[in-house]
Amino acid sequence: MSLFGTNTGFGSAGTGVFGTATTDSHNPMKDVEVTSPPDDSISCLAFSPPTMPGNFLVGGSWANDVRCWEVQDNGQTVPKAQQMHTGPVLDVCWSDDGSKVFTASCDKTAKMWDLNSNQTIQIAQHEGPIKTIHWIKAPNYSCIMTGSWDKTLKFWDTRSPNPMMSLQMPERCYCADVVYPMAVVATAERGLIVYQLENQPSEFRRIDSPLKHQHRCVAIFKDKQSKPTGFALGSIEGRVAIHYINPPNPAKDNFTFKCHRSNGTNTATPQDIYAVNAISFHPVHGTLATVGSDGRFSFWDKDARTKLKTSEQLDQPITACCFNNNGNIFAYASSYDWSKGHEYYNPQKKNYIFLRNAAEELKPRNKK
Amino acid sequence: MAECDAEWELCKENIQPLRQGRTISALHQALCQQQEGNHTALNQQKQAFESELRMYDGDDPLDVWVRYIKWTKQTFPQGGKESNLSVLLERAVMLFTADKRYHNDVRYIELWIEFTEGCSDPMDVFRYMQAQGIGTMQAALYIAWSEEHEKRGNLKVADRVFQDGVKCGAEPVDKLHAFHRALQARVCRQMMSSVTDPQRDEDDDEEEPQRSSLAELKAKGKKKAVVPINRANASAGYARGLQFKQPLGPKHNTRPVIFDENKVPETVPQEPKFEIWTAPPAARAKENEQKPEKWSNVKLPMKSRSGLSVVVPPPKPSFQPFVEEDDQPPAVTPCKINPAVNSVLSARKPCRLEQTPLKMLQERQLLMQTQTQEDGKSREQSMYCRDLVYSGATEFCFEELRAERYRQKHARPADHSTN
Repeated sequence: MSLFGTNTGFGSAGTGVFGTATTDSHNPMKDVEVTSPPDDSISCLAFSPPTMPGNFLVGGSWANDVRCWEVQDNGQTVPKAQQMHTGPVLDVCWSDDGSKVFTASCDKTAKMWDLNSNQTIQIAQHEGPIKTIHWIKAPNYSCIMTGSWDKTLKFWDTRSPNPMMSLQMPERCYCADVVYPMAVVATAERGLIVYQLENQPSEFRRIDSPLKHQHRCVAIFKDKQSKPTGFALGSIEGRVAIHYINPPNPAKDNFTFKCHRSNGTNTATPQDIYAVNAISFHPVHGTLATVGSDGRFSFWDKDARTKLKTSEQLDQPITACCFNNNGNIFAYASSYDWSKGHEYYNPQKKNYIFLRNAAEELKPRNKK
Repeated sequence: MAECDAEWELCKENIQPLRQGRTISALHQALCQQQEGNHTALNQQKQAFESELRMYDGDDPLDVWVRYIKWTKQTFPQGGKESNLSVLLERAVMLFTADKRYHNDVRYIELWIEFTEGCSDPMDVFRYMQAQGIGTMQAALYIAWSEEHEKRGNLKVADRVFQDGVKCGAEPVDKLHAFHRALQARVCRQMMSSVTDPQRDEDDDEEEPQRSSLAELKAKGKKKAVVPINRANASAGYARGLQFKQPLGPKHNTRPVIFDENKVPETVPQEPKFEIWTAPPAARAKENEQKPEKWSNVKLPMKSRSGLSVVVPPPKPSFQPFVEEDDQPPAVTPCKINPAVNSVLSARKPCRLEQTPLKMLQERQLLMQTQTQEDGKSREQSMYCRDLVYSGATEFCFEELRAERYRQKHARPADHSTN
C-alpha cells in the first residue's frame, strides 16, 4: 500500500489497532474502515457523480492532501491517487461528468485535478483561504464557485485565470451548497444569502438567520420534483434549522431542532451542547444525516419531523460526511475538529473514514 | 497620493477628534483607502489583529487590545459601526475587570475613560471603577471624573473628586495638582463674570419690558387648568454653571458668594461613597435595542394549502415613484424562482440569552463566587472553546483558529518543537 507515500504509518502509530474485532471506541458502529486514511483531520468528503460507473470517494485533509479511493461493491476500499496543496485542504467537489475533482485550500488557491492524467492545475486565486468549492452546471454555462474568508464569492471558468464574476459578501464565507439553480452561502456573524444561478449568478435574497449561533454547515434539499426548495443550516450549538425558500406557511413550515446534545432527559446535570459539523441529504429518500463534535451521527426525517437513528459515540468528533450517488453508502470521517482549541489536538491520534450501508436506515418514517 | 493631500479638508466634519491628535499620514491612508474601496488591506490587517488576540500567549494581553484599538481609531476616522470601536472598547474593558495587575495600569484606565465617553451615564461607570479599585491610584481617573462633573455644573463635587484623588495618593501627583488648580481658576473666573452679569440683567429688565416669545396657553376645562410653562429664562442661572440657591431676581447689592472649599455644600447630588457595585451599569444607550414585535393582531386571510403562494400586491401609486440612481445595480435579476410571497410577518422571538455586558459580567462573577449551579440560568454547557471563538470584535470559526495556528507554525522556519 505504498501508493500514498511513505508517511502513512500503517498500524504503527495511533491508538486503534487496524482491523480489530473487539469493540473499540474508535469504531463503535463496526462500519467499514477506509484503508490508508489521511494523516491529519479530514475536512471534507465527496463521492463521485452518477455519470461515472462505480463509487469513488475523495477526501481532503489538514495534512494538505487530497486522496481518492475506489469503493468496490464488496465494501473494499482501494486507494487510487493523491494530490497535494501547499496548505490544508478545506473543500472538495466533483465535476458533473466525474472526470475532474476540484479542491480548495488554505493556501488561497483552488485546483482542478484531472483523474485520468493525475495532473492538477490551479484554477482559482483568492486573497484569503478558500473555504468552499462547488461545481455549477447550468444549461448555458459551467463554472466553479469558490467562497473564501476574504468575503468574496467568485465564479471561475477553469480556462481563465480571472474570475468570470466576483460577488462581495458581508462577511467571511463559512459554508455553502449548490443545487442548480440555487446556491446558499452562510457567512460569519450569522449571515445567510441565497443566490440564483440562472443565466448568471446573482444574489437572490438575504435571509435573517433562523439560528442564534455561529453558522457551521449548510445543505440544500429538494422537493418531490427534484427542484431545490430549501436548506438545512447547522450551528455551532447543537441545532439545525430547516428553512424553505417560499413556503406556503413560513411560521409552520420552517422549524429548528436540537441535535448533538448529551444528557437529554437527565435534568440534574447541565446539557452538553456540541457543534454540528456537517449535514448531508440522502439523494433518494430526502432524509438527512448530521454529524457533530460529540462523535455521533444522526439520521432525521424532516417531513415527519422525527429522528430516525443516532449512532454510538465515537472517541473523536465526526468532521465530515456524504452519501454516494444512489444513497447506498454513507461515509463519515472521525478526526479532531478543533472545537476545543489546540490544547486538545493530538497529532498522534489516528484519523478514520467509515463507510456504512445507508439503504435501509434512511428510509423516511411515513412512506407517502 | 497628490489628491489625498487635502482630502481631510473635504470631510473634516466626519473625522472624529482624538485627544492625542491624529498622525497626518495615517489619516491620509485611511481616507484614501476608504475612497478607493480598498477593503483587502484593511480586512487583512483586521484579521491579523483578531488572530493575534486569540493566539497571544505572552504576559501582557492588554497590549494587543491597546494596539488593536489604536489602529482602529486611526483607520476609521469617522468612527461608526464598521470600525467596531465601541465593541472592542467594551470587550477590552470587561475582559480585565477581574485582573488586579491591570487595575492601575495607565493604558487600561485610558480604555475605561474612552469607554465612558460612549456611555449613557458616565457617572455610574466612574463609581463602579472606584468601587472595584480600578484606577484609584491613577490621576487620569480623577481628572476625567471631575471633568464630567464640571460639564454638568457640579463644580463643588468636581473639586471634591480632586481632593479624593490627592487623599488616595494618585499618581502622578503633579498632574493632579495642576488640573486641580486649573479647575479652581476656572471656578474663580466664572464667579467673577457672574458678579457682573446679574446687574446687567437687572438693567435690561427695568429698561425694556420682556417680550413674551410664545403665546400663553388657553385655560381648558371648568377649573381653568393651565399647563405650567417652563421657559428658557428660568434656567439661565443653571446654564452659567453655578448652583445659587437664591434666584437671580432683582436683588440689590448681593454679595458675591466666595467659594469656600471647607464649607459643607448644601445641595449634594447623590454621591454614595463606596457603594458595592456588583456589575457595571449597561454600557450605553445602544440603538436598536428594542426587539421587533408584532404590529397588530390582524392576520391576513390565507389560502388553503393548495401549494399556491398568497400574493397581496400593494395598490399601485398614482404617481411615478422617484427612483434614485444607485451605484450598484439591483441585486435581483430576472429569475424563475417566484420572489413575490407576502406572507404575514411573524413576530421574531426575543433572544433567550441576552448577552449584554452587564449580564456577562454578572454571570461570570456568579460563577466565580459560587461554583455550583443551583438554579443556573444556563442549564446548558457549550462544548467548544467559546473564549477563542468570540474573543475579539468578530467571531472566528474552528477552522480559522486552526488555520491561524498552522500559518504561524509554518511562518517560523526554525521552531517546530510544539505541535
